[in-house]
Amino acid sequence: MTALRLLFVLALCPVARAAEPVDVLVQGAEKLEVQELVATLGPSAEKVTIGPFSFWLGRIGPHRVAISLTGQSLINCTTSTVLGIEEFQPKLIINQGTSGAQAPFLALHDIIVGTRAVDYGMFSTPVRAAGEMSAPLEWKPSSQRLRNKVSGELVAFPRGFVGDPEAIAIALRTRNPMGRVFRGVIGSAHEINLELDRVKWSHVTFAMDVEEMESAHVAAIAFAYGIRCIAFRVVSDAPYEGVPFYPLAARTTALFSINFLENLPPFPSVSSR
Amino acid sequence: MRLLVFASLLFIATAHGKELPNVDLLLVAADDSTLAPVLARLENLTTSNHAAWTCWTGTIGNKALVVTRTEGDPLNAVAATTHALRLCKPRLVFVFGVARRHDPSLRTGDIVLSTAFAAFDGIVSPPAPLGGGTHPLTWHALPHALMHPGEQEIASNSFPADASARALALSLKVAEGRLVEGVLGSSAQINREADRITYLRSVWHTSTEDEESAHVAGCAALFGVPVFGARVVNGTPAAAAEFALQFVAHWK
Repeated sequence: MTALRLLFVLALCPVARAAEPVDVLVQGAEKLEVQELVATLGPSAEKVTIGPFSFWLGRIGPHRVAISLTGQSLINCTTSTVLGIEEFQPKLIINQGTSGAQAPFLALHDIIVGTRAVDYGMFSTPVRAAGEMSAPLEWKPSSQRLRNKVSGELVAFPRGFVGDPEAIAIALRTRNPMGRVFRGVIGSAHEINLELDRVKWSHVTFAMDVEEMESAHVAAIAFAYGIRCIAFRVVSDAPYEGVPFYPLAARTTALFSINFLENLPPFPSVSSR
Repeated sequence: MRLLVFASLLFIATAHGKELPNVDLLLVAADDSTLAPVLARLENLTTSNHAAWTCWTGTIGNKALVVTRTEGDPLNAVAATTHALRLCKPRLVFVFGVARRHDPSLRTGDIVLSTAFAAFDGIVSPPAPLGGGTHPLTWHALPHALMHPGEQEIASNSFPADASARALALSLKVAEGRLVEGVLGSSAQINREADRITYLRSVWHTSTEDEESAHVAGCAALFGVPVFGARVVNGTPAAAAEFALQFVAHWK
């Protein structure tokens, strides 16, 4: 009976997809980060719900897109990215949203286009006995690893994952309606750092320009699948300037993402669908 | 809450237009050395690869199992668990392996059985100016906020563990160490600062730390699947696998 049941299990693997593929999966962690994008799809947008995760399907510019509300941080965004890729087979993933400035020159509403995204929350500490306190600036960073499909080996990515060069070039020619646009490095971890000495340390150690909670995780998953990926992060708080978190900055990066999608040339296979 | 769990289970059954196969257990562990004794026992073994992740399916005795490997970090753990939970609907996710202790009363070889899971990587540091230093023992906890149906994120310092699985595990006989109930913590960190470990335990109530268990539990919660964990304190992969196989044999 168990063997029969196992055969049943195997017969159903891999799981069939139900949805039509999209060109671009556009992600935001919070409602404010996807609101403007969903509104752009218009009232006829199809909403697909997979468990707790929502996807809105439609067109922006020449592209068929799925707008994904990922939820915040690694557990939510990794799960929703895997589900989004498996369900909608995108050619490009855009991860966009808010971030905290780590480079002193950045101001509210500036946008960083991610040349790479790195997980800065992985580390090992030196040994310290009781009473010797804790010294984060001495923690040794470790790297995200992924298993190479061909060699079977685990490969470390100490510099994180690079953004798609073509998408970066187009993004740098895209208008930010509220601020400036820079290329830069995006750091991801489940952290909000407001101690400027640690902000400076991570800026120096990882060359990070902004910190947030998803881009590097999404970029790792995209890399594993061989899917192009780009991250846009608007500065929503700037600890050097004493600017507290301004959630409505999310609208800026959504408007930028819409402009980017309008500028992004059609994918070659669109006409064959 | 029951309604949410039901809704999540419904999603597993119908998200892709067909009923997913039921299996008894999804076993999750970090690496080949921990998984090898389990895979060696799997009959009717089949392997499927999905991007960078692998699922093994098979049987041990009268149990249908799916096994996956976390690579020993949260991202791979969540991705691998997500893939496995797209393939099948297990009655239980069982995540197992070794761990470092946060609870000073634990001894080498003790096996900590999950009462809950804490993903303790979240922090908010209070503002401090340049030259003001860093004060990690004053950082605030930033809990993970799992997405729930209705596009609601609900933050919690811990994720629940299955009580019936824990009761079964407590009844098992082990050659070495004690069976102890506790909170399994995970992050992409190896903490060796005694004062930080004390701080982490005071904030998150963790008994142990490893690199995947709470993140697997969070992922299982997104799918509405019960989860249980066991970690051998400063143990060997073989000891962890031996306990897992004993659990599988007695799981009904």
